[in-house]
Amino acid sequence: MINTNGGKIIRQMHGGLESVRVVLPGDEVMSYNPDTSEGSIYLGPGLRWEDGMVRAAKAGLLKKTPRQLYFVDTHQKRYIPQRREYVIGIVTKKKGDIYKVDIGGSEQATISFLSFENASKKTRRDLALGDLIYGQLIVANKHMEPEMVCIDAYDRAMGMGVLPAGGVMFSVSLQVAREIINPESPFLLTLSKKVKYTVVVGMNGRVWVKATRQNNMVALMNCILMLEYMTPEEANDKALKVLEALML
Amino acid sequence: MAQHACELSFLSRSDGSALYSIGLNVALASVNGPGDVKVSNRLYNRSHLEVCYSPSTGHSMIRERALESIIMRTVEQAILVHLHPRTAINITIQEMQSDGLALSASVNAACMALLDAGIQMKTTFAAVTCCITPAGTVIIDPTEAEIQESVAEATFVFESSGEASVLTAHQDGRLSYEDFKKCLHQCQVASRDVFAFYRRMTEKKYQNEAES
Repeated sequence: MINTNGGKIIRQMHGGLESVRVVLPGDEVMSYNPDTSEGSIYLGPGLRWEDGMVRAAKAGLLKKTPRQLYFVDTHQKRYIPQRREYVIGIVTKKKGDIYKVDIGGSEQATISFLSFENASKKTRRDLALGDLIYGQLIVANKHMEPEMVCIDAYDRAMGMGVLPAGGVMFSVSLQVAREIINPESPFLLTLSKKVKYTVVVGMNGRVWVKATRQNNMVALMNCILMLEYMTPEEANDKALKVLEALML
Repeated sequence: MAQHACELSFLSRSDGSALYSIGLNVALASVNGPGDVKVSNRLYNRSHLEVCYSPSTGHSMIRERALESIIMRTVEQAILVHLHPRTAINITIQEMQSDGLALSASVNAACMALLDAGIQMKTTFAAVTCCITPAGTVIIDPTEAEIQESVAEATFVFESSGEASVLTAHQDGRLSYEDFKKCLHQCQVASRDVFAFYRRMTEKKYQNEAES
C-alpha cells in the first residue's frame, strides 16, 4: 500500500517545479499589487503578502510551479496540521464517543468512533490505547482542534483505518516523509526489489513498515532513515547495498 | 571582527538547534515548537514564548534571568506569534564558553535555531557587541579583557529587513550621545556581515536540494 492519495498534489507540482533560490525570513520575493500587477499568483506555505510586497517568513528554498504557485520548502521536524493531509496518529485517550489521537502537532486530534468504514452505533469499533491510525485530517486550522477521519466523502476506507499489529512505526523529518511519499521518487520501489513489505507514510513524518520478518523491518527502517543524511539520489544508489548488508 | 561559526541541527531531538560561536564565545540554542502548552500559559491569540538560559557553570541566577528577558523581548519582535495560537515555543540556550560576548552569541544562536526549526518570522535578527576604550575607539566583538578596560560596552540587535533598524539595545557603562551614535553605526555596519553569514549557512543547509 504505497500511499498515492497524499502524493497526488505533489506529482502535479513536480511537473516543471522550479527552485528559485534560498530565502531567509524577511527577504523580499516580489512586489505584487492585485490591482495593477498582471496575472494572479498563489502563495503557499512560508510566504506572506503585506503592503504590496511578498516576503518570506521561513528559511528555505523558494520554489515555483508553472501555475504561479510560490512556496518555501523547509526542512523541518515539527508537524503543523493541514487540512486534507494524511497522517499516522497514536490513540492516547478515549473520551465517550471520540478518541484523542496524537498526530505530532501542538494539540491532539480527535476522531469519532463513527468515522471508520462500516461503523455504526451498534457495530462499534473498539480502539485500544496505543493503536496506530492512518487517516485524513478534515479539520485543521489554527483556531480549532484538529479532527481526523478514516473514511472519504463516499464512506469508503480507501486504505485508511487502524494499522494492523506487527508493524514498526518510526519518525522521520517532514521533508523525508514528503520525499518518499512522492510517486516520482523511486526510493520505496528500489527497496521493494529486495524485500516484500507494506509501508504507510503520514505527512506528519511518521512511517509505518511491515514485512514478514522482524530483521527485514529493521533493515527497511534504517534504509529509510538514511534519507535524513543523504540526498535522495545518493540514498537510492546505496539503498540495495545497505539493505542487503542490514538483513544478512 | 571576530570569527563567526555555526552548526545547524546540532541536537538530533529538538525541532531546531544551532551551535554558534563568535571568537571564543560559544552558545548552543535549541528550539522546540510550536508545541504543547501548559494551561496557565495558554494564550488565546498568540503562542507563548519561553526562553531559558543556562550558564556554563553554576546555577541560573539574576544575570541569567536578565539575559533571558533581553533575548525574549528580542525574539518576540521577530517571531510571527499570532500564527499559532494556544501553542508554546521554547528556546533553550546553553552557554558553552564565554569571553564577554555571551549575549550576542546567544541571540545569534537563537536566531539560527529558529531558522533551523522553520518557525515563521517577520525578519531575522543579529546581535553585535562593541565597547569603547578610554581613548574613544570603538572595538567590535571585544574580548573579556578589552571590555574590562573599556569605559562602556553596548550590544545592539538589528533586524535584517528594511533599514536594519534596532530591535534591542543594551548598554553597560556611560556613553555620550556622540559615542552612542558612533557605536550604533559601527555595529550596524558589522551586522551586515552577520546577516551575510546567516545566508551562507542557510544556503549550505539547502545546497544539495538546490542543485538537484
